Amino acid sequence: MSAHAETQHAAHPPVAHQSSRVDARTLGMFLFIASEVMLFGSFFTAYFFIRVVNHQPWPPHPFHLPVFVAFVNTAILVTSSFTMHWSLQSIKRGNRVGLQAGLTLTLLMGLTFLLTQLLEYARIGFTPHDQAFGTIFFSLTGLHGAHVLVGLTILAAMTTRAYRGHFSPEAHNGVEIGGIYWHFVDVMWIIVFTTVYVL
Amino acid sequence: MTTATTAHDELHAGAAPPPHGWRRLLAPGWLRVPWMSALFFGIGLGITLLVRWAEGWHPIWDGQVITTIELVAVPFGFLAGIGGFDYWTRYAIGSPTQPEDHSGHGAYSWRDYFRINTDHKVIGVQYVVTTIFFFVAAGLLAMIMRAELARPGMQFVGNQVFNELFSVHAALMIFLFIIPAFAGLGNYVIPLMIGAPDMAFPRLNALSFWLLPVAGLLMLSSFFVPGFGCGWTGYAPLCSTHQELGAVFFNMGVQWAGASSIMTALNFLVTIITMRAPGMTFWRLPLLVWANFTTSLLVVIATPFIAGSQFMTMFDHIMHTNFFNYEAHGYVLGYQHIFWFYSHPAVYIMMLPGFGIASEVISTFARKPIFGYRLMALSLMAILVLGFSVWAHHMFVSGMAPWLRVPMMVTSVVIAVPTGIKVFSWLATLWEGKLNFSTPMLFALGFVSMFVIGGLSGIYLAAVPIDIHVSDTYFVVAHIHYVLFGGSLFTIFAGIYYWFPKMTGRMYDERLGKLHFWLTFIGFNATFFPMHYLGIQGMPRRVSDYAPRFADLNFFISIASFFLGASTLVFLYNMIVSWARGAPAPANPWRAHTLEWQVSSPPPVFNFDEIPQVVGGPYEYGVPGARHAVFNGDRVIEEEEVNV
Amino acid sequence: MRRGVLVRLVAVGLAAAAVASAVAFFVPWLPTPASKQADRIDFVFWFVTGISIAIFALVVAVILYSVVRFRARPDDDSDGAPIHGNTGLEIAWTAFPAVLVTAVAVVSAVALAQNENLPKKHLQVNVLAQQFAWSFSYPKYKGLTVSALHLPLNEAVELKMRSKDVIHSFWVPQFGQKQDLVPGITTKLVITPKRLGTYPVVCTELCGEGHALMRSEAIVMKPTAFASWVKAQERAAAKASQGPSGGGPGLAVFNSNGCSGCHTFKPAGSTATTGPDLDNLPADARRAGKPLSAFVRESIVDPNAYIEKGYQPNIMPSTFKSLPKQQLDALVQFLIGGKK
Ligand code: HEA
Ligand code: HEA
Ligand code: HEC
Ligand code: CUA
Ligand SMILES: [Cu+2]
Repeated sequence: MSAHAETQHAAHPPVAHQSSRVDARTLGMFLFIASEVMLFGSFFTAYFFIRVVNHQPWPPHPFHLPVFVAFVNTAILVTSSFTMHWSLQSIKRGNRVGLQAGLTLTLLMGLTFLLTQLLEYARIGFTPHDQAFGTIFFSLTGLHGAHVLVGLTILAAMTTRAYRGHFSPEAHNGVEIGGIYWHFVDVMWIIVFTTVYVL
Repeated sequence: MTTATTAHDELHAGAAPPPHGWRRLLAPGWLRVPWMSALFFGIGLGITLLVRWAEGWHPIWDGQVITTIELVAVPFGFLAGIGGFDYWTRYAIGSPTQPEDHSGHGAYSWRDYFRINTDHKVIGVQYVVTTIFFFVAAGLLAMIMRAELARPGMQFVGNQVFNELFSVHAALMIFLFIIPAFAGLGNYVIPLMIGAPDMAFPRLNALSFWLLPVAGLLMLSSFFVPGFGCGWTGYAPLCSTHQELGAVFFNMGVQWAGASSIMTALNFLVTIITMRAPGMTFWRLPLLVWANFTTSLLVVIATPFIAGSQFMTMFDHIMHTNFFNYEAHGYVLGYQHIFWFYSHPAVYIMMLPGFGIASEVISTFARKPIFGYRLMALSLMAILVLGFSVWAHHMFVSGMAPWLRVPMMVTSVVIAVPTGIKVFSWLATLWEGKLNFSTPMLFALGFVSMFVIGGLSGIYLAAVPIDIHVSDTYFVVAHIHYVLFGGSLFTIFAGIYYWFPKMTGRMYDERLGKLHFWLTFIGFNATFFPMHYLGIQGMPRRVSDYAPRFADLNFFISIASFFLGASTLVFLYNMIVSWARGAPAPANPWRAHTLEWQVSSPPPVFNFDEIPQVVGGPYEYGVPGARHAVFNGDRVIEEEEVNV
Repeated sequence: MRRGVLVRLVAVGLAAAAVASAVAFFVPWLPTPASKQADRIDFVFWFVTGISIAIFALVVAVILYSVVRFRARPDDDSDGAPIHGNTGLEIAWTAFPAVLVTAVAVVSAVALAQNENLPKKHLQVNVLAQQFAWSFSYPKYKGLTVSALHLPLNEAVELKMRSKDVIHSFWVPQFGQKQDLVPGITTKLVITPKRLGTYPVVCTELCGEGHALMRSEAIVMKPTAFASWVKAQERAAAKASQGPSGGGPGLAVFNSNGCSGCHTFKPAGSTATTGPDLDNLPADARRAGKPLSAFVRESIVDPNAYIEKGYQPNIMPSTFKSLPKQQLDALVQFLIGGKK
């Protein structure tokens, strides 16, 4: 029961033909993000039914949303997208210190965002089982928070590698792909923030 | 086996020697699985208790919550133990990645099928065998169900157990059989067909496979951990607030199975886009590749919706959130919209790869080019797009906004047009062919005829007034089985017989194959055709007890279903015995043109010694001098041949 | 394509169509319609059946003809004709089904609109579903509530339907109409009965353990008979509200909570068989070894405490423990009063 013919063949695979200009890993990341967008989409659908179809005032009495804190938090996350971009540009130009500093700053800002959000949860005065409003508020922001956590894990890996001497002007794919994910997390937050807090 | 061993040693040259003594516990594999699972169990438990204690939630020890968390933690422990994350962990902490020694590639003994293996061919076989196991399990559940239904009144099982029977039957058939079986066949043949040495992300591929046993185990246990009796559709609020722990097993099983199919789909898409052999343009792709390409798009876009819907019911269940609790302004019908926005496209996820297999088989055994190749590919795309716009045809009687019904009816019946194009093109491919009725061809023709019946009953269901009458009756059960058994399963059988020589290097027994087909074909129709009548007459689905006037027909159906079940034994016997002792298969027993048949059976570890050059379409049967591909040094490429 | 081929193909097709038509016509597929809506549904059904038979016959004819005519001889290794396509044919089999399905959609949409049409003069019935019982009440008759649906012949009814717990679905096969009952919203269904008789009411949405047992009856009566039925019910209710001499207020509680949907009980005139016959309560209490009134009360507030032999747990709703004490007392009184 062997899965290949028992005659002698090359011990190494032939080099695959590259049939597209797009890099495989970048394409993979974009497809992954597409499915992530749809996951958010399913929760936005629930949000739509609860708020629009059910004609709920927003936020319904007696709930309050700390819009100002969330706004500051948004600013932090948006800034972290710029530091991310900076770190990528740095390594493209061979500037390792820029790479390391950019990644570290991004990581720290991401952490700040997450901690602020946790604090906000603790003080917000309602829970996921207070009305459908509480449910959808916590699930949309919580889903996003989970993505920040994933993003931070990726960032942590990239930062570790950056300090251990990986990445170079020729090989910075890891930074680029991780960065795409981080930008996605950022853009997604702007959408969540707008629909939940602002509109 | 001697040559194989040499090849093995040669591949391992330069790799570290296998660990000895207690260090074997650290190496990826089955020895690491138990303690890693236990470790993750502990971590999950610890975090849960800590958070509950810190937040002052009482009771701190809540069995439901802990079980739910463990359904995430333990599978991660298992995957880490078997070695699914080794490479990425090393990458993440920045330690130097070891040079690829290809030791995780290829299978040299049966043991290699039981470890993390990055060879798409091994993974394909792993997939197919695993899914057949779940098919048998789900089928046996159906047998218990039919035994109960043989007579009105209660015989063997209680009401709740009956509900669990059909729920788990359907969940296993759909999430652990049809969808991953297609993924398995695709895994095996797609890289070969497009002239690639492997998939784009072999490690991700291995991980997607190992998620399957996890998902399957969870779904099987949802039967033994009682409480999942709300149908595979898991409607809220029945499933979110009126079921026990078993429902959570189902919720999580769907998550793992869904993650697996998203990862595979992503892999297929990237592989097909970036790794085609030179000359393999999109218009030269075999239709199976086209079919998996469209299916994968569907999977990537739609599957997150079922993940979302299952998260929501699960949270409503264990955390008492209010997604679908109307008393707290939740919206009950929201569940159905979100669920069907995935699950209607899912029925095409379960059918399009089958369309691809049917195209391969029919063209090969009719010895003719596929009729209307481009329209065949385009109609797949049309089904993909339309498939997203029909979800509410499952909700005609649900109480949703009434104005949605007519538009959804129109899009639903319009799907008959691209599907019809495919059916008629297959028929035209048969015309003036030289038909060989080997087992794969029999199943392909059986598929075309049975799927047309199932599709037509779909048109009945899409017509709103008729659906209002027959929705949630045995008419729908008949439709389900005509499209899923007569459609998807027949093509899976066709595909398994067709590629059996390639996968195992041995021929199956043709006589038994034909016997299997005829027994299945007869048993299938005898079992499921009368169900149309039952449904129209007034027998609802999902009941363990029914009006006495349906007794005779139900008895007949039950007998027929045992006959149908027994016919599967012929298949299993044929597969096992032929795999062990069948006659050696030539490289190309069907004289097919696609690339997988141009290499040995089974193919070399890295598929090709040299990537072939594609020079023409995949189905140029009967065209003088036409070739699909040339291998380097095989023949000089002449200018006019390239343009055939 | 040669002439002869076409003739033979058409012959096979006609044969297949004849077989399919025979199956369609000689098997009594549809239940005898008992409502105007069912007539229209039947029309759409036969319309789609006609199209389906044509399509099916076409497909079967081509397959059978090819299987016989184009079978390769065992030693024949040659290829078929290298035909890649035919634009005319491809357009035809895109356009033709498109026309047919448009027809299906139009016919369906018209039938749907007619079936939803509610005349001004109609009877309204409020339907309430719970695990696993139906109750029907008539606002026009002072909220008269019963557990079997009684309808006058030839008068349109509008059912306004609500559910207490999970999703249920109301279906009477002979009426052809079906509609889910969804917690939190009120759904509607229009039925115009046109044949006298007693028909099953079936719950078709999986609603839990007792889903298979959630049945009732729809009784179509002559308008005069219906009127006197209403009178009799109203009289009984009035008598009941006057005190313990009649059924007592317990009768109203018994009927409006759906007890009569599952239990036979002579004093209430109910004949359902999902649960035990409550005329035998004293004997059952003796078997359970409890005093009658305690036994009855316990059986209502905690149905699973004692399961009568031959019946299953978890079928009788456990929601009755929230009945107001006064109603509960009346109910128990009514149930034991019938005997003692
Ligand atoms: C492989 C899976 C599969 C496939 C391919 C389909 C295909 C179709 N299905 Fe089906 N369906 C299911 C699996 C599938 N279905 C399942 C599992 C359920 C039940 C879920 C549950 O509740 O548990 C379901 C339920 C279901 C319902 C809901 C019933 C209800 O619950 O009330 C409806 C309603 O519209 C429907 C319609 C259709 C239609 C219009 C098609 C069309 O795609 C069919 C198109 C094909 C043809 C029409 C035949 C070929 C065409 C020609 C030869 C051309 C000429 C034809 C004409 C002119 C008509 N399906
Ligand atoms: C791919 C999908 C698939 C497949 C292949 C099948 C296969 C079968 N199904 Fe299933 N079915 C569904 C998908 C599928 N089903 C779905 C989606 C539902 C809806 C569920 C819901 O309402 O939620 C459903 C519901 C369903 C019902 C309705 C339940 C209800 O509403 O109350 C019934 C009833 O008869 C049924 C029967 C069968 C039978 C007899 C088979 C047979 O074909 C099985 C044959 C296979 C075997 C028996 C196993 C292997 C055989 C052996 C190991 C041999 C030895 C065994 C014996 C001789 C007994 N199925
Ligand atoms: C959905 C069906 C259903 C409904 C509605 C229902 N019952 Fe029952 N009932 C049952 C079943 C089944 C049993 C037997 C199993 C059990 O004891 O739980 C039963 C048992 C009983 C018993 C015990 C009888 C015995 O002989 O052991 C009593 C008393 C009773 N029901 C009273 C009522 C009353 C009063 C109501 C309405 C307020 C009611 N039931 C509504 C199904 C129902
Ligand atoms: Cu109520 Cu089923
Ligand atoms: Cu559908």
